[in-house]
Amino acid sequence: MLNPLRSEQEAFRFLLYVAAVAAVVVGLVLLIRAL
Amino acid sequence: MESASIASDLAHEEHHGPPAPNVSSRVEAQFLGMLLFIISEIMLFGAFFTAYFFIRVVAGDEWFPIAGISLPKAVAGVNTAILISSSFTMHWALEGARNENRNALRVGLLTTTLLGLTFLAVQVNEYVHIGFSPQDHAQGTIFYGLTGLHGCHVFIGLTLLTFATIRAFRGHFTAKEHRGVEVPGIYWHFVDVMWIFVYSTVYLL
Repeated sequence: MLNPLRSEQEAFRFLLYVAAVAAVVVGLVLLIRAL
Repeated sequence: MESASIASDLAHEEHHGPPAPNVSSRVEAQFLGMLLFIISEIMLFGAFFTAYFFIRVVAGDEWFPIAGISLPKAVAGVNTAILISSSFTMHWALEGARNENRNALRVGLLTTTLLGLTFLAVQVNEYVHIGFSPQDHAQGTIFYGLTGLHGCHVFIGLTLLTFATIRAFRGHFTAKEHRGVEVPGIYWHFVDVMWIFVYSTVYLL
């Protein structure tokens, strides 16, 4: 399981996942608001 | 009898100071310290986000633009790209340390520090030109509170990175021993993750 506090590599991978999820969530919310 | 006395003297000479601490955790002390620190930081940011969500969700107050003043989404977006790219250079520096590539380590750490400094400079410039102050309204308080709290963390991260950069240029760190870069690296990625939450909630949503 991914543990961002175990190593820098895992922390970096966690950052990429968070960035991707945030982009999707923000995109969806903005899209729903625009409709 | 004499040999026992000599052995006792040798043992006495070898051991100085208090007895070695009992290590009961499977995690190294340095990592455990950073782990506990980051967990406490998450709770601190959580308290600020609670205030933000209270204003927007519980109280249902308006969010920016307020009195014709909008948040500079585009400038903050570019600043976000700068901060995220600094995580890539940080990761590159660590890979350099792992592969005994000293140039990658040095250039990676220096670039990360410069990108972090750029982020802070842009944020200070944003504060100067934004057109409202923390005492103007609750939204302003939350805006400065959240972004300022994050800015403080960037400053702490930059301090750690400066130490690591100076040590890298002095020839410290090897493929086996690079904890002095790895721990600030974990912290730096944590600061970037927090900014993604701050930028998404405060500026975009």
